[in-house]
Amino acid sequence: MRRSKYSDIKNIFIDTVDNDNFVELESTIFNYRILEESLNKPLKMILLFGKPGTGKSMILNRLYHNLKVSREIHYFEAPILSEKEFLKNIYESISSKSIPQNMRVNFDGLLKYCKQLKGKREIVFLLDECQLYSEALMEKIRLLSDTRVVKFVITLHKTENEDIIAKEHFKTRIWEIVELKNASMEDLEVYIQKKLIKKGYIEVANMITQKDIKFIHTYTKGNFRETNKFLYVIYNIYEYYDIYKPKKIMGKKLSKKILEMAAIKIGYIHD
Amino acid sequence: MINTKELEKRWLKYKTKSYLLLLFIITIVVLLIYGGYYILYKLDLNIDREKNIKPTADVKMVKDKNITVTNLASFPTPIKKDIEVKSDDNIVSLSPIIPIVDIDSETAKSKTVKKVTPKRKRVKKRLVKAKKSNYLTPDELKENKVTNLKDKKKKINFKTSSSNYIEIMKEKFHKNRNPREAILIAKAYYRAGDYKKSEEWALKANNLNNNLEESWLLFAKSKNALGKQEEALKILIAYYNKTKSPKVKLLIEKISSKSI
Repeated sequence: MRRSKYSDIKNIFIDTVDNDNFVELESTIFNYRILEESLNKPLKMILLFGKPGTGKSMILNRLYHNLKVSREIHYFEAPILSEKEFLKNIYESISSKSIPQNMRVNFDGLLKYCKQLKGKREIVFLLDECQLYSEALMEKIRLLSDTRVVKFVITLHKTENEDIIAKEHFKTRIWEIVELKNASMEDLEVYIQKKLIKKGYIEVANMITQKDIKFIHTYTKGNFRETNKFLYVIYNIYEYYDIYKPKKIMGKKLSKKILEMAAIKIGYIHD
Repeated sequence: MINTKELEKRWLKYKTKSYLLLLFIITIVVLLIYGGYYILYKLDLNIDREKNIKPTADVKMVKDKNITVTNLASFPTPIKKDIEVKSDDNIVSLSPIIPIVDIDSETAKSKTVKKVTPKRKRVKKRLVKAKKSNYLTPDELKENKVTNLKDKKKKINFKTSSSNYIEIMKEKFHKNRNPREAILIAKAYYRAGDYKKSEEWALKANNLNNNLEESWLLFAKSKNALGKQEEALKILIAYYNKTKSPKVKLLIEKISSKSI
């Protein structure tokens, strides 16, 4: 069985938080700059806020990779739900010392340790998926940030019912809120095109018309995660046709039938 | 890799559904458009019917007042002549207009109608009563001098009303320029013995609509009455050759035999 080019193309759209996969869009660049500027201000906590799939983790990841050389920055990709583990990780990151398994970090001791570092160091912690942290832990994060030694950038999911609650909860603690929104049709087109062109699939990128983008945007609503999923399925079907029925994908444009089939497969369209 | 066979089946199902939905929507839209058009068309018909009914009602009034008013009277301009001609055809089919045209035939008809309709019987009875009053004895006449005077006044009023009739009709004609009104005026003048005027008005009617037979007949009658028998015959023969009308033939015979 021969290998199809679409096998590689579909893998471009596998949803990963990888700095190489970061696509610079007008809106993401704008939000990234705000975030970067906020880090330079004497703020304690910065909230990156938005619906799932709007690129919060991606921005956080990019921020970490871009700043890890120039400043003291730590990225907690996965949320650490245990308070003991969380404090241990914070201490280890600041002190660069590992704590034995049978030992735990005393919070008051950690606060005192941080206060000693005031004016000497400024450490940034990037915390993803903060909606999973308990309120008690969030309170400890706030107290740590009050020392002005530790600065937190936290990401929070915005869901239909939770967004107001979330804002209310963090309103008194957070000094800067950066809200990420779903991509517009223009942004989505740039996002898809850039992703394909970056990997050298210019012809495949040219197959996508404005009409196709509109179709994709209608169902994904500009959500990057959904778009990646949609395109993955589209090129998965393409892969099948390319191997077994290549005559069916001879056209120079993206097949409407395949687009619809992918939408059915994901559940955007009900048959 | 995705099992596209199953997916293709689902896609086909989806397409069929969407096409059916589209067809359904188109059908609904077409039906709505057609329905709307049909309702509007129906409404138009109703309006037309109302329009058609109105003249008959008017004619009934006309019968009583001896005044003709047709629904087509509002087309005085020559451009609308065609419309008038067409509508005249409709008028011909409406029998209540006919009495204006032919008095002889109408009187004959009205006699038969009178027998049928109870209302007219009542009129007849009243007339009989009036006749009875004419046969009053001289003594009774003496006693009822005052009432006789009143009767005389009534007769005078009648005369004035008949002369007023021409004036009213002229006014109407000037407003509407209806050829039928011109015919009525011509007829009134003919009855009054003013043949010159009768000829003039018959010609006016004919100029407005040369399909009205009555205008030809009146014109010829007036010519004949003015002593221009040959001219009258020429006109009638020319018209008869065109229409083969029995009425015209009868008039030709009457004029030729000088029995008119």
